[in-house]
Amino acid sequence: MSELTLFVLRFGFLGLMWVFVFAIVFALRSDLFRHYVRRGDRQQGDITHNPSAESLPFLPPVATTSTSNPAQKLVIVAGAREGLEIPLESDKLTIGRSAQSGLVIRDEYTSTNHARLQLWNGDWVIQDLGSTNGTFVDNQRVSVPTPVPMYTPVSVGSTIFELRP
Amino acid sequence: MSLSPNSLENSTITEQLMLRLKVPTKLRNLEATLIIFAMVVTSAALALVDLGATGKLNPPIIGLTLGLGAIVLAMHIAQRFVARDADPLILPIVTLLNGLGIAMIHRLDISGGLTGWQANATRQMVWTAIAIVVAIVVIIVVRNHRVLQRYRYVWMLVGVGLLMLPLVPFIGTTINGARLWVNLGFVTFQPGEIGKIALALFFAGYLVTARDSLSVVGRRMFGVTWPRIKDLGPIFVVWGIAMLVLIFQRDLGTSLLYFGLFLVLMYVATGRAIWFVVGGGLFGTGALVASQFLGYVQGRFAAWLDSFNQENYDAVGGSYQLVQGLFGFASGGIVGTGLGAGHPGIVPLAESDYIMASLGEELGLIGVFAILTLFMLFVARGIRIGINGSDDFGRLLAIGLTFVIALQVFIVVGGVTRVIPVTGLTTPFLAAGGSSLVANWIIVALLLRLSDTVRHQREEAVGT
Repeated sequence: MSELTLFVLRFGFLGLMWVFVFAIVFALRSDLFRHYVRRGDRQQGDITHNPSAESLPFLPPVATTSTSNPAQKLVIVAGAREGLEIPLESDKLTIGRSAQSGLVIRDEYTSTNHARLQLWNGDWVIQDLGSTNGTFVDNQRVSVPTPVPMYTPVSVGSTIFELRP
Repeated sequence: MSLSPNSLENSTITEQLMLRLKVPTKLRNLEATLIIFAMVVTSAALALVDLGATGKLNPPIIGLTLGLGAIVLAMHIAQRFVARDADPLILPIVTLLNGLGIAMIHRLDISGGLTGWQANATRQMVWTAIAIVVAIVVIIVVRNHRVLQRYRYVWMLVGVGLLMLPLVPFIGTTINGARLWVNLGFVTFQPGEIGKIALALFFAGYLVTARDSLSVVGRRMFGVTWPRIKDLGPIFVVWGIAMLVLIFQRDLGTSLLYFGLFLVLMYVATGRAIWFVVGGGLFGTGALVASQFLGYVQGRFAAWLDSFNQENYDAVGGSYQLVQGLFGFASGGIVGTGLGAGHPGIVPLAESDYIMASLGEELGLIGVFAILTLFMLFVARGIRIGINGSDDFGRLLAIGLTFVIALQVFIVVGGVTRVIPVTGLTTPFLAAGGSSLVANWIIVALLLRLSDTVRHQREEAVGT
C-alpha cells in the first residue's frame, strides 16, 4: 500500500465521519416530532362534522374558512404546566384527573371527569361533566355546553388554557 | 352524484390509513439506512487501522464487526415491532461510537501485540453483543415506562445495593486503587455502572411525587424558600450513602456523576436555580476539603495543576499518563497521524480511560470534534425526548439518563484534556469495559422506549 493511497484514505475517512454527522443533522432538520399534528385526522374531523364542506368539496378555501375555522391547539396559559401546547387532533378532548382523560390535570380542584371539549359544527364547545369546582369560560361558570371562542381563558381547577389557531 | 361523497370519504380513510402506516415506517427506514451507514464507517475504520499499522487487511475482525452490525439490525427489527415510533437517530449514533471504540481498541491491541481472546477488542465485541441483547430484552419487556415509577423504592434499594456490592468481602476486587469491581470467578463486573440507572429511576420516580412539596412548602430564609427536611429526607439519605460508599471505594468520578445527576434532577423537577448554587457550594467545599486531607485526591490535584513538573511526572500515580495523553493529542494535531500510524500505545490504559487521547492522536482535532458532535447530537435527542415527554416521570427520567451520559463525557474528556482533574470514569460507548457498555446500552433502550411513548400516546398529563 503506497503512502499516497494511505494519505488519501486517511482524509477520506475523516470526510466520511463528517458526512455521517451531517446525515444525522440533515435528518434532524425536519424534526420528526413535528408530525405530531396529523393533517389526515384533522380533515376527517371536518368532514364528519361539517356538512357544508362535504357537499361543496370544490369551494375555494376562503369560503370554508368563513364558516368554520376551528382552533388547532390548546395552550395552557397558567397553572402547573404553563406554556404547554396540545394539538387538538380529534373532535373530542376530555379533561379531568382520570388517567383516561385526553388532558390529565391532577390538582386539588379538578374532578375525575371534569369537562369535555367537543367540536360541534366547526366550533369548539365545552361541557362541564358535573365537576365539584366548576369550569369557567371567561370567568363565567359553565352550566350548559358553551362555545369557546379563540383566545378566551377557560379555567379548570388551577389551570387556565386558551384555544388558538 | 350520490357516489361522490362516499368515494370522497373512502379516499380520505385510505389516505388516513396510509398516514398511520407511513410515518413509523419512514422513521424506521431512516434508522436502518443510518445504521448501515454507521457500519460502513466502522468497517472503514477497522480496515484503515489494519492497513495503517500492519500494511494488510485483516478480514476476520471486519467479519466479526459485521456480525455486530447484524445484532444492531436485530434491535432495529425488534423496534419495528415493539417501538415503531422510537427516535430513529439514537441507535445509529450509538452504533458508530461503539464501532469507533472497537476500531481504536483493536488498533491498541496491534501495538500491544495482543491477539485472539487476549485482545481487548475481542472482549469488547463480545460485551457489545451482550449489551445489545440486554437492550433488546429491555425494549421488549418494558412496554410502558410508567410501570417503572411504581417500583421507585425498589430502585433505591437496588441502586444502593449495587453500590455496596464491591465492599462485600471475597467478591469485591480492588483495581488501580479503586474498589469498584465484583469478581464472580468467570467475569469481573462494575456494579456501580448499573447502579447509576437504578438511582436515576429512583430520583425521577421520587421527585415526581415530592416535587410540589419541594418547591412550594417550606420556610423562607435569606430570601429563599428552603424545602422541609421531611421532603428531602429520602434523597439525602440515598445521596449520603452513595457518597460514603464512594469515599470508601476511592472513586472521584462516580461520586461527581451521582452528585451531578442528583442536582440536575432537583433543578428540573423544581425549576429553582438555587439547587445549583447550593450544590455547587457543597461540591466545591467537599472537593477543597478532600484535596487537603485525602491523599489520592491531593495527588490528582497536583497532577492536574502542575502536570509538567518533573516531580509530579515521576510520582507514582502522578501526571505521567495525563502528560503522555496530551503529547498524543499534540502529535495528532489538526488532521491526526492517520489510523494505525501513531503511537497511542505509549499512554498507559489507552484503551479505557485514555481512549479519547488515542483517538485524538490518530484522527486529530477534526476527528475528535466529529466524535464530540456525535455525543452532542445524542444528548440533544435525549433532552428533546425529555421535553416532549408525555408525563413528568418520563420527562425526568429522559433528562436524568441523558445527563448521565453527557456528564460522563464531560468528566472524561475534561480530565484527559486537563480542563478538570483526572477522574476514573469510562467514556460512554467508546472505552473498553463491559459493565459500562451494558449500562449505556440499557440507557439507549430506555430512551428509545420513552421516545416511542412520546409519539405513541397523544394525551398530555399535567401535574403529578
